[in-house]
Amino acid sequence: MSDTWTNRLSEYLDGDLPDKERAALEAHLPSCADCRATLEQLRRVVARAQALDDRPPAADLWPAIARHVGVVSLNARRARRRVSFTVPQLAAAAVALTLLSAGSAWLLERRQPAQRAAQSNTTPSPILTNAGTYEANPRYAAAVADLERVLAQGRSRLDTATVRVIEKNLGIIDRAIRDAQSALAADPANSYLNLHLAQEMRRKLELLRQAAVLAGART
Amino acid sequence: MLTTLAALAGLALAQQTDTTVPVRAGARLEVNNFGGEIAVKTWSKSAVRIAASHSSRDRITVDASDQLVRVKSESRRGPSQVVDYEITVPAAMALALSGVYTDISVDGSQGEITAETVQGAVKVSGGAGNVSLKSVQGDVTLEKARGRIDLSSVNETIKASQISGDVSAETVNGDISLVQIESANVEANTVNGDIVYDGTIKDGGRYRFSTHDGDLRVSVPEKSNVSISVSTFDGDFSACYPVQLVGPKTKHRFSFTIGSGSARLELESFNGDIRLCRPGQLAKDRNEDKDHDQDHDQDQEEE
Repeated sequence: MSDTWTNRLSEYLDGDLPDKERAALEAHLPSCADCRATLEQLRRVVARAQALDDRPPAADLWPAIARHVGVVSLNARRARRRVSFTVPQLAAAAVALTLLSAGSAWLLERRQPAQRAAQSNTTPSPILTNAGTYEANPRYAAAVADLERVLAQGRSRLDTATVRVIEKNLGIIDRAIRDAQSALAADPANSYLNLHLAQEMRRKLELLRQAAVLAGART
Repeated sequence: MLTTLAALAGLALAQQTDTTVPVRAGARLEVNNFGGEIAVKTWSKSAVRIAASHSSRDRITVDASDQLVRVKSESRRGPSQVVDYEITVPAAMALALSGVYTDISVDGSQGEITAETVQGAVKVSGGAGNVSLKSVQGDVTLEKARGRIDLSSVNETIKASQISGDVSAETVNGDISLVQIESANVEANTVNGDIVYDGTIKDGGRYRFSTHDGDLRVSVPEKSNVSISVSTFDGDFSACYPVQLVGPKTKHRFSFTIGSGSARLELESFNGDIRLCRPGQLAKDRNEDKDHDQDHDQDQEEE
């Protein structure tokens, strides 16, 4: 992943590369599986962003993410770029985007106006750190905790068999997350492990969201 | 729960509802059924027939307009309990079927289908355009569909066969089997289960298969054009034919190319093995595994 083109893929996708560099990158892509894979992941993240829930969130969190990515990964020379990802950041972005779509907008919508107002006055905390520290990330942890709370409140409306199945499957995902975290501790630069962890954490949010929706529905 | 509901329903008098409404081309059917069954089949008439078996306490309502036929059931005491629907529709009619303790089946559709249930199986033969099938606690099975396919379960298996179009399949605790797939875009992932893919690898296509605890078995023709990346943490890779690894490689992460490499195939299993075979060979392997399992079972019984 140390290819000189890797960090230009975001510009390429944004259509920001000069013609000459774009042509050079396009000539490079067929021979570089890593670049193609990274580009594909990047496209997926963008596609996921475009497919976000169309309910307007009470606060637009994306600028904070973009700012944070900029602080972490961009130097002055690259300051004109919109967003540039390393693989761990890409993995983090995948989770963050899911967090936005699956958790934050939904949760924000359910919060009381006073809470919304209070939140709008606080400085957004960074979402993106790196893949190995997602669970320590306050916003991810808060989204999980909020969804778990909603689920706990609606638990009595769910069939006991459904509750058992959801808990069992959350346990399966948690085990996968722990496995990936342990593996990452030994090999933090491993792009597969980063993306795998991101995928499992995204899946946990999605299952929690699905369960919370079920708990709120007529069951 | 279903048993309890069925028993309660049995206390009330059984009743039949049977009504037919005319529909225009392009109309859509929406059915919501809390518990029981929704079975849809097709005919050549421009009409929808709704036959329902239900308790005398329940009332079936059918709201029909040019664009929409909406079927639901109500009880004098709130939501109805168990209703078994048998509905016949024009083949091209779009279907939106949902329930909680509900089995859903569709046979012969050539239209868009959305089917969602919590405790129950979803089994569909046919479908075109957007086909989205979801269950939390039930098998999801699809065959003979074309279009954009989205299959989802949580605690059970997903099976798809004779499909053409983009395919996405996701479960948490179950296997995924994708057989006879004609697609340039396939993604399947599970946490605790095996994945089998036996289908085309098209030039320029994108294929991604990922599991945490399970094996991957994927068919790739020797004459395809595909770049393949393999990633595991604690699994092994094997292929039915020789492959030439390229670039940096470790025991658990490497890539190789077949032909021009224009398609992209990602194979990821954290704890399981990954096996690549020729088309058709996976079925043979599966049969041999089955035979082996049966032999093994017999051995155990003899012991």
